[in-house]
Amino acid sequence: MDEDRAPIFKKWSYWYVLVIAFLILCMLFFYLLTKHFS
Amino acid sequence: MSRPDWIVLALTLLGMIAYGLYKGRTSRDLEGYFLSNRSVPWYMVLLGIMGTQASAVTFLSAPGQAYTDGMRFVQYYFGLPLAMVVLCISFVPVFHRLKVFTAYEFLEQRFDLKTRAFTSFLFLVQRGLSTGISIAAPSIILSSLLGWDILWTNIFMGGLLIIYTVMGGAKAVAYTQQLQMIIIFGGMTIAGYLVIHRLPAGVGWADILHTGGKAGKLNIITTGFRGKSFDWNDKYNLISGVIGGFFLALSYFGTDQSQVGRYLTARSLTESRIGLLLNGLVKVPMQFLILLLGVMVFTFYQYNREPIFFNQAELKVLEHSKYKDSLALVTSQYEAVEKERLGVPGADAATDPDVAAGHAAAAVRAQRVVAMQKEKEGYKSTIKRWLNDVGEDSNDTNYIFLRFVTDYLPKGLVGLLIAVIFLAAWGSIAATLNSLSSCTIIDFHKRFSSRQLSVEKEYSLSRLYTLFWGVFCVAVAQLAYNIGNSLIEAVNVLGSLFYGVILGIFLVAFYRKRIGGHAVFISAVIVEIAVVILTVLSRKGIVPLSFLWFNVVGAVGVVLLSEVLQLFMKKVAEPAGE
Repeated sequence: MDEDRAPIFKKWSYWYVLVIAFLILCMLFFYLLTKHFS
Repeated sequence: MSRPDWIVLALTLLGMIAYGLYKGRTSRDLEGYFLSNRSVPWYMVLLGIMGTQASAVTFLSAPGQAYTDGMRFVQYYFGLPLAMVVLCISFVPVFHRLKVFTAYEFLEQRFDLKTRAFTSFLFLVQRGLSTGISIAAPSIILSSLLGWDILWTNIFMGGLLIIYTVMGGAKAVAYTQQLQMIIIFGGMTIAGYLVIHRLPAGVGWADILHTGGKAGKLNIITTGFRGKSFDWNDKYNLISGVIGGFFLALSYFGTDQSQVGRYLTARSLTESRIGLLLNGLVKVPMQFLILLLGVMVFTFYQYNREPIFFNQAELKVLEHSKYKDSLALVTSQYEAVEKERLGVPGADAATDPDVAAGHAAAAVRAQRVVAMQKEKEGYKSTIKRWLNDVGEDSNDTNYIFLRFVTDYLPKGLVGLLIAVIFLAAWGSIAATLNSLSSCTIIDFHKRFSSRQLSVEKEYSLSRLYTLFWGVFCVAVAQLAYNIGNSLIEAVNVLGSLFYGVILGIFLVAFYRKRIGGHAVFISAVIVEIAVVILTVLSRKGIVPLSFLWFNVVGAVGVVLLSEVLQLFMKKVAEPAGE
């Protein structure tokens, strides 16, 4: 469908990977903050 | 509040109403009124989704939550990005292809009328009541802290937005939410800057994190395990956040019309998807920053006098109770400790360089500060015990941030921060009123009426229903105040009572194509009763289960039971046309 082309990336699946990877990065960052400052 | 604060508050609120009326002009039909003619760009979809989810209490309570309990609340949002991905793959394309007005319309196409009506009815009951509470909760806080009359606060919190929501429908909601979110982010950023600005010279970001960390406020990641066993009653931890939060977010964004109605207004499927996925990217960091503001305020009070109780109105109640004399004694003892603590050089042991360097005198000093902190906590606990005893609200969390704002922010800015609270409420409530109205007319009035309605009649009826739900929600808010906290708590769990079951129905609709309407309807009714019983048992402490898990129980219960029931049903459902 022409109207449903993913912007920036070739496929929507790359967007999904980006969102999940960013969540994992956030969790890792929060874990390090918790560890370092506790 | 000072005169400049009143001026800023009045201008912001009136400006928002005028903006909503100006931008809300659209075609006088259901497509224009409820879907803004499907013309909204992705960034407005994003801000609409965020504005609908973030209520006034989000901005009032979250900093206080971090102040008292630490930042672990952020884990509640870990399931949200995962839910956004699932929605974009499964839910959103179907809603767009079928060009539905409400999410529940799809259920009639997939199952039958009774499943659609049942699900839409659950939504109307749950959302109507919980929106009333979302008006009452910030109104009670503002009226308590600023001494405003509760009726007028409720009317301003939930009534004024009705003007532009009735007149402009979804388009007015989308445009005002965009402006509201910009003002909210701006206001919170300025508040954060001023907290740091008011810290003593030489105290910066590293000190804030050290102070918060030493006090246990940077408990951002917690596992939920106590020893070797998992605590099912623990509200916020990594596991409940990812699993429970995922089910809650999937249900809220995929089946709650107040959210579905936002991304159905998008220009295209692509713009809906981008709005949702960007929400998945920004929500967790945004919530982290709001909670960090609470840790910043906590650090601020390590260098400044911290009130024995942030909610002054409750202290006044105690002053007129049997604890009057005891209160005076405890308060004077608390003030003496606080004065001594603030007089100790390097009062914050966590950031004292001499303590870090291992100097003996500094270590003794640090021990004394810790002892004084414990003494303070003891006095605070005593106040809470007395408040519980006289039947008053002993939860101080919601008052911490606003008390800081009113005590320490400059004139004019207090008005802006109060306006932020109102606007956060308005964005969320306006979207909900629009969705309640759309379900009432699309899923019930139009569907069950034998008379053919003209386009103009449908449009005017939609406005009337929006007005009706607005008045209903303000009335619920006023009722909630009169009845008290017990009702507020009861209605707050309403979402978790229904969300799981509603999600279960949609999961069957999307992923279990062989299951028909009868099986899913009977399963939904049985599981709903089971979840209600489970909730009662949980609140009585018989079943130790946190509310986030109710969503999992409801959703999984409907899917499994309908699978079993379908085996006994003779007629197998036709797969949904794709």
